[in-house]
Amino acid sequence: MRRILKGTVVLGFVGVLLIGLLTGCGSGDNNETKTKEQKSGAVKEQPSKQEQKSLRVTMALSEEEWEVMKKYIITPFEKENSVKVEAIQVEAGDVVKKLEAMRQAGKMEIDLIAQDVNNIAPLVSKGLVEDLSEFTNTIPNEAIESLVNAGKFEDATYFLPYRPNVEINFYNEVKFNEYGLTPPKTWDELLNVAKTLKEKEGIGRLALKMKLTGNVIEPVEFIRQAGGDPLVLNDEGSIKAYTFLQELWPYLSEDSLKAGFSSTNSFLANESVYYAPNWPFGVNIIVKDGGKKEIKAYSGFSGPVKAAKTLGGEVIGVPVGSPNKELALKFTQYLMSKEVQQILVIKLG
Amino acid sequence: MFFLHNITFTHWIKVFESGNLWPPLKKSLTVATLTMLISLFLVVPASYAISRLGKKAKYFFVLSLFFTRMFPHVGIALPISVTFLKWDLLDTNIGLVMAHLISQLPFMTWILVSTFEAIPIELEESAAIDGASRLRTLKNVVLPVAIQGIAVAAMYVWLNSWNEFTYALYLSLSTKTMPLQIYYYVQRGGFFQQAAYSTILAIPVICITFILQRYLKSGYLGGSVKG
Repeated sequence: MRRILKGTVVLGFVGVLLIGLLTGCGSGDNNETKTKEQKSGAVKEQPSKQEQKSLRVTMALSEEEWEVMKKYIITPFEKENSVKVEAIQVEAGDVVKKLEAMRQAGKMEIDLIAQDVNNIAPLVSKGLVEDLSEFTNTIPNEAIESLVNAGKFEDATYFLPYRPNVEINFYNEVKFNEYGLTPPKTWDELLNVAKTLKEKEGIGRLALKMKLTGNVIEPVEFIRQAGGDPLVLNDEGSIKAYTFLQELWPYLSEDSLKAGFSSTNSFLANESVYYAPNWPFGVNIIVKDGGKKEIKAYSGFSGPVKAAKTLGGEVIGVPVGSPNKELALKFTQYLMSKEVQQILVIKLG
Repeated sequence: MFFLHNITFTHWIKVFESGNLWPPLKKSLTVATLTMLISLFLVVPASYAISRLGKKAKYFFVLSLFFTRMFPHVGIALPISVTFLKWDLLDTNIGLVMAHLISQLPFMTWILVSTFEAIPIELEESAAIDGASRLRTLKNVVLPVAIQGIAVAAMYVWLNSWNEFTYALYLSLSTKTMPLQIYYYVQRGGFFQQAAYSTILAIPVICITFILQRYLKSGYLGGSVKG
């Protein structure tokens, strides 16, 4: 009797394993079957719902941004064009990896990418995106010229302008008031703020993103503010910028060496730094999510020659081998339209 | 610093209601469990066979297992993922399981070869003298003694698969695993979501460790062979 019971238990366990194995082999949707059927030509006439075209788009957005994107931008486009837009979260650095793998496999699964403008060069140099030069006439006249030019490589346009962005400078108002400081407007004032914070607290509380792994946005801003060209590096402006950074360095927070766009929000919110530049999405995280209402933002400081900020934001590209290039370009035009741009500015700032 | 001003479940409710939790959790659980089960199914008999080989042959096998671990994941992930994409394994559980098995099979074999080696051959000979067949000896004598090593290996493989990131990044597009989901919140999300997701990631780890740790007892071989 005990043996039969044991056998039944073992049999049941093996059964569960087999069911798990079969379930695990599933793909979650019926796209695979559909594709195979479409390839073999077995399905010629299907109900209109199954014929509905689908567009796969990658973007890198926060949850608040996704909410606006899905509700106010994607849904109206889907309704108007009777298509399905599958928008997927992929960070800019990972887009390169994914497209490279798909290109090598000869199976491009992404139709359109909304890519960080500071991460587009590898996509062009690796030949992962289409030349969109013939579609430059669809760029609205109101588009920011610098963003249009950012998508050009050797006179060919690979990316179309979509969503401009620029860093703002965050500061802790309570701490600034406590030490009688005001947000710095010049390099001298910046140095003074950094010195005062270090003097009062014993450690540096002013952070800049100075990771030595390729994040050059802020050093480049210093060079441009001093009238230099970051592509020359040894011109007068660059020398002036690096000389000033050398002077500023002892008073900076140690977090400057590890500050990224994500960690800077944490540094400001947990008050390990009282001043740091970052992208505007930080407002949602620090103030709305974190409840740190004392963290304020302003436009930043100027250098000895001019005020300069690096243009960030996103541009749109079409991967080589995109299965729905025509629809992708239609969606691109929609994203560049005044209607969408207004929604982005009003809802997301 | 973030001091606890008031207790609220708002962030947890937000995480549960967002719809971003269940699909990655299901995928991670399925992939980690399948990787562990398939590894056990393949590696337990293979390791036993290797452990009973002659010294030179055993050395050759163990060395070749080391060889497969010599390449860093990031270096081989792209060519492997390209092959899997060609086989239409993007966004499938089985694709990810196969990718995880590449590194987990040799890993589990190392542990289990040492486990089976530690079991004296005299134990099997005694069973044979008592009339037990080879299979029965394996089932009733060797495996029960080796259970703690098997439990440790299973636990490690499950945890490695549960935490795996590189292959998941290449082979997932629409459906993500838990580490990818946490990566998203670390990059883009708020502190509270990061904390909530990290806690959720840790819960199954605690459960699996708790379940398997009861097999981790010493003294299984105590008094099995006369000195």
